[in-house]
Amino acid sequence: MNDSALSTRRRWLALAPWIVIIALLVILPLLLNELWVTRVTGWIPLAIAALGLNLLTGYNGQISVGHGALYGLGAYAGALIVNAMDGNFALGVVLAAVVCFVAGVVIGLPALRIKGLYLALVTLAVATMFPDLIKQFEGITGGSQGLQITAPQPYRGTTVDTQLQWKAPGWSGLAADQWRFYVFAALALFCFWAVKNLVDSRIGRSLVAIRDNEVAAEVNGVAVARVKVITFGLSAALAGIGGALFALLRMQVSPSSFTITASLFFLIAVVIGGPATVIGPAIGAVFYGFFDDVVTKELLPERFKPATPLILGIALIVLMLVAPGGIMGIVSQFTAKRRLRNAQPPG
Amino acid sequence: MSLLEVTDLHAGYGMVNVLAGLSLTVDEGESVVILGANGAGKTTTLRAMSGMIPATGSMRFDGVEMLGRRVDRLVAAGIAHVPQGRGTLVDLTVEENLRVGAYTRHDDGVDGDINRWCEVFPRLGQRRDQAAGLMSGGEQQMLAIARAFMSRPRLVLLDEPSLGLAPLVTREVFDRVDELVKETGTAVLIVEQNANLALQFAARGYVLESGRIVIEGTADDLLADDSIRRAYLGGGA
Amino acid sequence: MIGFQLTEFAQYCLIGLGNGAIYAMVGLGLVVIFRSTGLLNFSQGEIAMFSTFLVWQLHEVGLPVWLAMLGGMVLGFGFGAMLYRVAVQPAGDPHTNPLAVVIITIGLFLGVNSLAQLIWGTGDKDLEPLFGRDGFIVAGVSVDWQKIGTLAVLAFEVALLYLIFNKTKIGLAMRAVASGPESSALAGIPVTQIILIGWGVAASLGALAGTFAAPSRGLNSSLMLQVLVLSLAAITLGGFDSLVGAVVGGLIVGLATDVIPKYVGFLDKVPLAPAFAIILIVLLVKPEGLFGSKRVTRV
Repeated sequence: MNDSALSTRRRWLALAPWIVIIALLVILPLLLNELWVTRVTGWIPLAIAALGLNLLTGYNGQISVGHGALYGLGAYAGALIVNAMDGNFALGVVLAAVVCFVAGVVIGLPALRIKGLYLALVTLAVATMFPDLIKQFEGITGGSQGLQITAPQPYRGTTVDTQLQWKAPGWSGLAADQWRFYVFAALALFCFWAVKNLVDSRIGRSLVAIRDNEVAAEVNGVAVARVKVITFGLSAALAGIGGALFALLRMQVSPSSFTITASLFFLIAVVIGGPATVIGPAIGAVFYGFFDDVVTKELLPERFKPATPLILGIALIVLMLVAPGGIMGIVSQFTAKRRLRNAQPPG
Repeated sequence: MSLLEVTDLHAGYGMVNVLAGLSLTVDEGESVVILGANGAGKTTTLRAMSGMIPATGSMRFDGVEMLGRRVDRLVAAGIAHVPQGRGTLVDLTVEENLRVGAYTRHDDGVDGDINRWCEVFPRLGQRRDQAAGLMSGGEQQMLAIARAFMSRPRLVLLDEPSLGLAPLVTREVFDRVDELVKETGTAVLIVEQNANLALQFAARGYVLESGRIVIEGTADDLLADDSIRRAYLGGGA
Repeated sequence: MIGFQLTEFAQYCLIGLGNGAIYAMVGLGLVVIFRSTGLLNFSQGEIAMFSTFLVWQLHEVGLPVWLAMLGGMVLGFGFGAMLYRVAVQPAGDPHTNPLAVVIITIGLFLGVNSLAQLIWGTGDKDLEPLFGRDGFIVAGVSVDWQKIGTLAVLAFEVALLYLIFNKTKIGLAMRAVASGPESSALAGIPVTQIILIGWGVAASLGALAGTFAAPSRGLNSSLMLQVLVLSLAAITLGGFDSLVGAVVGGLIVGLATDVIPKYVGFLDKVPLAPAFAIILIVLLVKPEGLFGSKRVTRV
């Protein structure tokens, strides 16, 4: 094969997984029933938040056990903005991302001095405190009762604040849950594509350089502090987008959804899928979401529901010991072996 | 029968094999040196012998097969290893470092030995209750050696004692070890970059190259051999 | 301040000291593990909670509370040692791979928490206070024997640990292993055994702490969730490798947590706020804390 044919082939091979995924996402809601479409839609915010955590912890080496709090911040910000702006979903998501970006930068600044396990400590504390913070400001957040996402809607001659619902536009011919899935999926694809480009760029390489050896990176001209803080901001923004979508899925938020265990489940999604890979968080989120929706909700009796976090905790430990690259790590080891075997000279 | 008999030692790190079949002996009370360029596998040899890295082959100490034993079991058998870089327990005091050396002993001579070493090395005695990490490189080297001797070993493995030390200090270290060895009759297997100094101290030597012994002989023979002189002893010093 | 009453203030302080003693007890366990392995065990709280359930179980079977506590400490010792052996040791030296070890202890956090829920359910269990429910009044302040007992046990505990670490052979071995595991092994110290003992002791200290925490907070799987963060604040303030620091830090965190929100309206519904502020300030200003050694914070 000549060179240009080879590089064209390579480009198709690189695009192939994306094409497959997009095709899958397009077909999925047309095949599944409403319950399942809603369930799978619920995995998408998880994937986006895990993507954010992976950017920070997997690629940049800054340990955060507090992304549940950022997720919650995004959810509440999104809910409040949508309520204030008469049901403007898009504005809610965008502003939630901005709010969380700022929060991320605010956390990222002291994180320059507090590293490694001490950062884990601080983020653990933040995540544990988050539900109480929500209850503290109950004037705005609705306290332990939570907040519904509502807008004034006509009802028996007057307008009443009722919980918002998703509606598919007439021209699409889709049901509400399907339309909602496509919106979520499109947004997720955008986020993943953006992160992929970031990671492949020079900035992306500087993230990894900082993770592997901060001093060496600085000596080589990387603006370490700026990169670390902005990465924190971006990571938080992604968690915020996830949180806002989460809120828009359930049309309500309450503090009990954002306890420390939420942070732990994001970490699990990152580790299971494969840290420092772009698609890893998506795999991890699907894995966790499936586990939660199928195993915990359907299969396990009430008494044994804690078995899920037990198995996930064990999985976390086993993965760290045996396959720290997660599922993607196993896959790439497998494909590397195959490539090695195919490259062996005959005889 | 020699005190220590190493036969066909193979060891490495992961997929990289460093030692490719090494054999050597050390007799009771003898001082033997292993020379070689950087990367030849000198430190790897001692680490393999101590069980710090997996190894195959045989290592017989006093006739008993010891290869593969857990690291902390060696001291009880009579082998003390002074690691490269001295391995000072920096947060502990000088006295505590010495006491750690005697961990496997159950007799009541430990305090007496500590006092003795503080006399033999006055600078250790002065800093007896200070954190060991505060001492100079040379002082820490003396401490590491004294710590090894605290277990009253029959064989001491000494890994690159000159590393990071000024020439004068290194000379002093070697002089002291020489005195200790003559006094206690302990066998010493020393791995060293500074071939000149080491060969003046030891009785026999091995030259290691690419994981194999390529030359062996008495220290005098090795010092006198011109080709060795040029290849491994460098010029001067 | 309007309405400031000395007796009220003293009452809050006493409550704070009683709670602070519990944070100090959990903190001592954290310090023991940090001193022997150089890692921060994020699952310490859950191990303590689990061991407290063991105490409760032994009491249910018929043992008097104090004996059940001792039994729980012994069983907890084994549990903690086993967790180290199975989950943490295979990860290797925490200094070379801190992220992996953090994640493993977080996995243990989740696993032990859910294991406790599976075994004992999610409801509250009752555990009586070791020193009974009686008390007396001094100058308008109500003092109960349980609080005095807690502080007394804490004092005894830290004195005992101090003696062990500084005056015994095994304490020397633990300090040696924390300082240099490789050199310690070469000197004949059985490093793995020492670390196992460290984790076992930490778990026993956790059982002790839980036995004092459970009567007033209710024994359920969430017992130690907030306490862990408060104990981490205690040892951050005191210094990660200091036993005395854990005690002083614990008492200060206890006082701050129970007294400040009563007088300062800001964030008064967030119990962890004072502790969080302490953590942040210490790590930014003086990371080695009040009594810790400077070397401790080289990550």
